[in-house]
Amino acid sequence: MEKTRTAVDLAAAFEVSPNPYILLTPDLVIVGANQAYLDVTSSRRQDIVGQPLFQAFDSGDGQEAPENVRRVKASLEKARDTRQRDHLAMVRFSIARTGADGARTFEDRIWSATHTPILDDDGRVSFLLQHTTDVTDLNRGFIPDPSAPISALDAIVGGGLLRRAEVVQEDNLRLEHERNRLVEMFMQAPGFVTILSGPQHVFQMHNAAYQQLIGQRDVSGLPVREALPELAGQGYYEFLDDVFATGEPYEGQESLVQLQRRPGGPLEDVYVNFIYQPIRDEKGAVAGIFVQGHDVTENVLAAQRQKLMIDELNHRVKNTLATVQSIAIQTARSHADPATFAETFQSRLMALSHTHNLLTRSHWEGAELSAILAHETEAFGPTRISLNGPPVDLEPALALSLGMIFHELATNAAKYGALSTPEGRVLIDWALADQRAPKLTLTWREVGGPPVSTPSRKGFGSRLIERNIRHDLAGEIDLLYAADGLVAELTVPLERKYA
Amino acid sequence: MTQPLTGRRVLIVEDESLVAMLLETILEDMGCTPVGPAANIDEGAAIVRDEADLDAALLDVNVAGRQVFPVAEALKARGVPFVFSTGYGEGGLPDEWRGNPTIQKPFTETAVRDALMKAMGVAQA
Repeated sequence: MEKTRTAVDLAAAFEVSPNPYILLTPDLVIVGANQAYLDVTSSRRQDIVGQPLFQAFDSGDGQEAPENVRRVKASLEKARDTRQRDHLAMVRFSIARTGADGARTFEDRIWSATHTPILDDDGRVSFLLQHTTDVTDLNRGFIPDPSAPISALDAIVGGGLLRRAEVVQEDNLRLEHERNRLVEMFMQAPGFVTILSGPQHVFQMHNAAYQQLIGQRDVSGLPVREALPELAGQGYYEFLDDVFATGEPYEGQESLVQLQRRPGGPLEDVYVNFIYQPIRDEKGAVAGIFVQGHDVTENVLAAQRQKLMIDELNHRVKNTLATVQSIAIQTARSHADPATFAETFQSRLMALSHTHNLLTRSHWEGAELSAILAHETEAFGPTRISLNGPPVDLEPALALSLGMIFHELATNAAKYGALSTPEGRVLIDWALADQRAPKLTLTWREVGGPPVSTPSRKGFGSRLIERNIRHDLAGEIDLLYAADGLVAELTVPLERKYA
Repeated sequence: MTQPLTGRRVLIVEDESLVAMLLETILEDMGCTPVGPAANIDEGAAIVRDEADLDAALLDVNVAGRQVFPVAEALKARGVPFVFSTGYGEGGLPDEWRGNPTIQKPFTETAVRDALMKAMGVAQA
């Protein structure tokens, strides 16, 4: 009841106000106008209510009409979109007058207008109120020619003031265009940008890249500790506090930040280059912080991967060099003659190198057992070597070890065993056993060669075989010097605990 | 040339038998007695636990895919000095182990001897 009466009173006051008012919907359709408005625009209520504003008032057909309409429209839209009152200090707008003879003519008038958004309970714009004043006489009386320079007299009286108001307004318009362009650039910048306001670092505005950085969270108007709670303990709140307190900018390079980028998701590692730049007010005090930066996660991870690969490569190369060093020194100890040293050392090196070749072909995923055996024995021809067993894929370390072991066995056979005579043969049989913990069992049996006996002293070759099988491969080996030829029986696990 | 390390018992932890054999040869040439070699961390730790008589150790940093530091801790607790051997160089060691005598693969006999003497606090001959 009370509310209704208040509304009625306000409506009555609006109607009788000497100030011209017109009420518009947010899409600029006329809802109502008071008598003063109808009077200054020489219009009738029934002709204009329900009409779009610029259909009811189109500023006539003069050359300036479209620009006049555009300026009034821009001011109304700005009031609507920013939800802030907007002033148009001076605007030309022609009004239709119907003469005594009934003919319509347009009269050029100058107006000063204020556009006020009227918000509903949810803060949305429900109406726009235009308050406009006809300032034509004030202006025209003192400045017959608007393009004439401002005289000292003009400066003292109203015309000059209005003229200057117009100049200021044009400046504001230009500045606003520039500001809009800057905001546009800011919003579309590829790097992330945000402006934090006050000592609590309240999110004032941020661009799309920043929104992406923090996941699609709504942080506008929130202090940073509330907006990004997962940053607690990561040092960033404190950097912001320091920048705000000291006014000194802070710069971070490849700085790790753990962010929740999906609702309920885990913290993700992101690396950023960024700067916190203090924003000062007109008195020079720090009012906020400008945050700008780039997500450099991809670059940082690529550099880490590269370092890992280089470290791993270095580790492998140095280990291989140590292996070769060992082969050289051990071979030298059993070969006093430089010529036989060179030959033996070289053939061991070539065996190692060949297994590397096989592994390189499979991108170091593994090598086939029969391929390694075939290479070490092919010099003796297929009739003297029998290879019999299923395909077995050997992982790299195992392939390298077995390559060296078969090389030693074959070299030994060629020097002292079955391959040292034209008739002798080597039968190599292998099988896989125990599927749960797969093992390779392999028998190297020499037949048809000279009689053999257990050597009185173990050479490097047989020590290498035994040590390698037991130590490196955690397997077992039996070297049996039977009267009709050497039999080597070896068992190695195929799935070892390490790569 | 005098042999300041004669008779010392030196544990070897090294997964590559060829490299272990080289270290054994070098140690024997210096008059030391090699202990082991251990091919993995567990074997190394067992020797440190059970072997009463140890004067020093040579520890490959990356042993069979694991890092040797648990063995280093056990040696440190026993007061047995040790030398790291690594393909990465000292830069590959975590901060807490930097400064410990380290040899980089491949190594010379002199490098092994100097690092052992430094670790054991034995004056250069």
